[in-house]
Amino acid sequence: MLLEVRGVIKKFGGLTAVQNVEYTQEARTICTIIGPNGAGKTTFFNILTGIYKPDGGSVTFGGKNMVGLRPDQINAAGISRTFQNIRLFNSMSVLENIMVGMHSRLRINLFDTIIRTPRFNHQEESVRRKVGDILDFVNLSDKSNEIARNLPYGDQRRLEIGRALASDPKLILLDEPTAGMNPQESVEAMALFRRVRDELGITVLLIEHDMRVVMGISDRITVLDYGQKIAEGSPDEVRREPRVIEAYLGRGSQTDAL
Amino acid sequence: MTVQQTINAPPDNLLRRYGILAAVIIFVAAMFLILITMDNSLTFSPLWTALAFPALAISPFLILRLNVSRQIKAFLILIMLLILMPVLGVHDSFYFTLATQIGIFAAMALGLNIVVGFAGLLDLGYVAFFAVGAYLWGIFTSQTDNYIHAIGLTAPAWMFYVFLFLAVIVAAFAGILLGLPVLRLRGDYLAIVTLGFGEMIRILFKNLDHPVNITNGTLGLDGLASPPLPPFIGSITDWLVTTFKLEVGNPQVLAYQLFFYLLVLAICGAAILVAGRLDDSPIGRAWTAIREDETAALAMGVPLVRMKLLAFAMGASFAGAMGVVFAAKFKSLTPDAFDFNQSIFILAIVIVGGMGSIRGVLLGAIVVSLLNLQILQSLSSLINNLKNQNAVIPVINFAFKDWPNQLAVENYQRFVFGILLIVIVLFRPAGILPASRRKTELEDRDDVPPDLTEIPPDMSLTESGGDGHAA
Amino acid sequence: MTFSTRAANWTWTYILRPFLQILLFVLGSAALMSVIAVIVSLIFRTPASRGATLEIDLFEQLLKQLPDTLIDGITIGFLYAVIALGYTMVYGVLKFINFAHSEIFMVGGVIGFEVMIRLRDGSLLTTFPPVLLVILMIVAAMAFSGTLAVVIERFAYRPLRNAPRLVPLISAIGISLFLQDAVRALEGLGRNQFNLAYPTDSVPFLTQRLPIGPTVTISVTAIIIVISAIIMVLGLNYFVNATKIGKGIRAVSQDQATASLMGIDVNQMIAITFLVGGALGGAAGVLFGLKAGNISPFSGFIPGLKAFTAAVLGGIGNITGALLGGILLGLIEAFFSSLLPFFPSFGTSYSDIFAFMILILILIFRPTGLLGQRVDEKV
Repeated sequence: MLLEVRGVIKKFGGLTAVQNVEYTQEARTICTIIGPNGAGKTTFFNILTGIYKPDGGSVTFGGKNMVGLRPDQINAAGISRTFQNIRLFNSMSVLENIMVGMHSRLRINLFDTIIRTPRFNHQEESVRRKVGDILDFVNLSDKSNEIARNLPYGDQRRLEIGRALASDPKLILLDEPTAGMNPQESVEAMALFRRVRDELGITVLLIEHDMRVVMGISDRITVLDYGQKIAEGSPDEVRREPRVIEAYLGRGSQTDAL
Repeated sequence: MTVQQTINAPPDNLLRRYGILAAVIIFVAAMFLILITMDNSLTFSPLWTALAFPALAISPFLILRLNVSRQIKAFLILIMLLILMPVLGVHDSFYFTLATQIGIFAAMALGLNIVVGFAGLLDLGYVAFFAVGAYLWGIFTSQTDNYIHAIGLTAPAWMFYVFLFLAVIVAAFAGILLGLPVLRLRGDYLAIVTLGFGEMIRILFKNLDHPVNITNGTLGLDGLASPPLPPFIGSITDWLVTTFKLEVGNPQVLAYQLFFYLLVLAICGAAILVAGRLDDSPIGRAWTAIREDETAALAMGVPLVRMKLLAFAMGASFAGAMGVVFAAKFKSLTPDAFDFNQSIFILAIVIVGGMGSIRGVLLGAIVVSLLNLQILQSLSSLINNLKNQNAVIPVINFAFKDWPNQLAVENYQRFVFGILLIVIVLFRPAGILPASRRKTELEDRDDVPPDLTEIPPDMSLTESGGDGHAA
Repeated sequence: MTFSTRAANWTWTYILRPFLQILLFVLGSAALMSVIAVIVSLIFRTPASRGATLEIDLFEQLLKQLPDTLIDGITIGFLYAVIALGYTMVYGVLKFINFAHSEIFMVGGVIGFEVMIRLRDGSLLTTFPPVLLVILMIVAAMAFSGTLAVVIERFAYRPLRNAPRLVPLISAIGISLFLQDAVRALEGLGRNQFNLAYPTDSVPFLTQRLPIGPTVTISVTAIIIVISAIIMVLGLNYFVNATKIGKGIRAVSQDQATASLMGIDVNQMIAITFLVGGALGGAAGVLFGLKAGNISPFSGFIPGLKAFTAAVLGGIGNITGALLGGILLGLIEAFFSSLLPFFPSFGTSYSDIFAFMILILILIFRPTGLLGQRVDEKV
């Protein structure tokens, strides 16, 4: 198991946003978390990446405990992410955004930086090479010098994924990566996620609302509602699960997609 | 025809290109001649110097914008800094002191720029690190009786270079000491805490004459040691004095002025190099990322606290080194030289010049320091001259002897700086010479809804993951 | 509900209950600080100085000074509280530290001086009823400082509302420097000096001390400060919690975008916040001037910083918190300055360090202040 989550709990005041969630994921799979708004999906991501500290439970990644580590340490350990509302470094160029993504893989040394030792120059060169590879992978090589905030929406989404890939993660968490995309763009995005798994060997965990994407790409689906896991399984199993239908139908949202 | 347009001109337009070059050279030479031939007894001479010296001082920035090869630019600027300025300084030592002070402030502003411009942390107590450096030299070499003196721990003058290095380390350490507890605070809280820290250091130096006398309290320290002169400085000044038959009262004084000018120039050069290399490195990129979005930077593997501490330490070290130079140059220290206004003064340099822009900060240092140290003073003495001569402005019939004593222009630095800060922030928030990144960040703000420009509110994301802030 | 029960309810909600709360804060803080001071004095009963033991019993000294210390602390505390309200209101609405508030406070003090000195120049000061005089001074200062704050907001802050957080702070620092020298120039030109001494000597009423015990007296200015401060705090409480505008301000402080969708004029509410905060600052300036006896263009900085400390101590953005923080800080300061002289190896000059240390310690260990709530960021 690459990722093992046991009984995590997160409370905000009186509200329990995530309640005793158990979750495991095999390496080189694409899994999806779905659930109505406010079900605790993003909170779950924030726990995995160390932005929130869980009030209980354990997170084990590659056999190592992740609870209590800072987000940057978790990133270095191999979990990378994107954000629901894109959070790029807006005034930096496409190139620089990806360079920042590589931070945890770099040797940061004040002396080397000021003296510009061969070691430093060598590292900068390899950084540039690798950035080139990533830009090719997310299909942004022709925009490497553009300022991030000037990119069209779809490019910003792909840049954020590229930035997350830059730290050589073993697991990448994508928070609603196809939100706001048209069907054509969603199809392209799905292809990209598959390539992330197949070509780079990176495990993918998505939060997704678009059921075409969810059903089309997921090896397994986990359903959260009110902070609890209410169902889990292959797309077909989840589709037939009565509690899932109830969770969605009961609120009258997104029924057509199911 | 402006300088800006030449950059866009076709490259084959040699006549125009070198015409501009010649114009700039003639301009610089003219300013230089005005200053060197100035008869200071004339009524209007303060006005001419107040115009000519700033024009000369900012001319390197004109040269930098010329459309000529880098070698020519570097050659011209070196002539300016290494020949014209020293000649002017030998002619009138006021210019040596002025240029040295500008250099001291420029290097400090470059340091503060690392904290404010690169990492986006507003530090309102920056002068504290300058004070730390200055007192380090003062405490160990002053002739004023203090405890250090009493226990025989005085430092010999040659230790100056050691202390320069030591001050870098001590100030960097002070920066870390300040940063460690406060860096979890959000931007504006951080600003106030650094202000408090700066004032605390000043009050501490002001009161450290009891229980044991270390800083001699309010009276400050006197008779600080001067570093030994490198032999070549003496030879240069001797040569100057004999060759040009200068009437110099004490060649030693001249030699020291030249020495400090060159030293400050060298340190500024080093500061520019270090700041530039930091900016263009993974460290600089991490700082920019932190400034733009702490949460995202953290999630991308940037260790917030460590990078912020590094910014604080680097910024502080510049000020520490300059503190030692300042103390050795002026040979006396009082605690009130390091008050809040000094911090604001350095901050004004960074804001006016352009946050994050090294070139901008240098220009800012020249403009703001000259405003503070020369232009207002010159205007004051001009008004005094006019007063003494009973001059009258013809049309409105204003007699200068009626100019109120309370309106001594040189005392209104706050007024000028206040307006300067407001105007810059409102109309040119990225400064006179903006950094390219900062420009997009500070100027394109109208198209962004307010909640998106909000810097992530708090420190909850740094270490413990959830401290929260007041509603 | 009959008119009389409604009136009784109203009195309870907006006058009696908040008044009792203030009383509770004052008594509680005073008791707490006294207990701490007594413990300290018992530990250092005979303070040593440079080897020699002083012939003082610190505990006895403390007890002797206790009433004066408490009165002094509470008076300063109310002053800090009124200034802190200005910081906290603006912070609550805009999440912005109005650095220029200390100068708005100073301008209030100068206006108070101007009113007084003009009355004296017109030979009216000796005949003018003292209570009316104080009210006139305060009202004039409130009007002027309130307007000034609104003007500053309009021209120096509003254009920067969407800029990165630090930008308006720099603008505020600029305003602050500008105001110091502008006042200095104006007063310097008009009066040929800018260290302005209140002509309190011409009003005997203001220099009186009233006996409130066998050995204890209280100055009339202290009474004026406490009463005016309480009236202002009660008024503000009513304004914020009971009026339509107050509700609008609270809505804006919760969520500007939603408030504007609900038909609230956000700009107007922010302007009113500055008006009220500035007016309170101006009133505090007059009270400060009466207490200290003089005001200069540079007297705003330190009280401003301390009042900000008080606001942070109580929980910035929280009106009750500003009150509690102000009173606590005033008492802490009063106790420090009454105890420090007995430790000659340190001396009173260190007392300013303690205010800053308190500020730094709170921000580090409880950045939300005593009454602040924690809010997690949505990622």
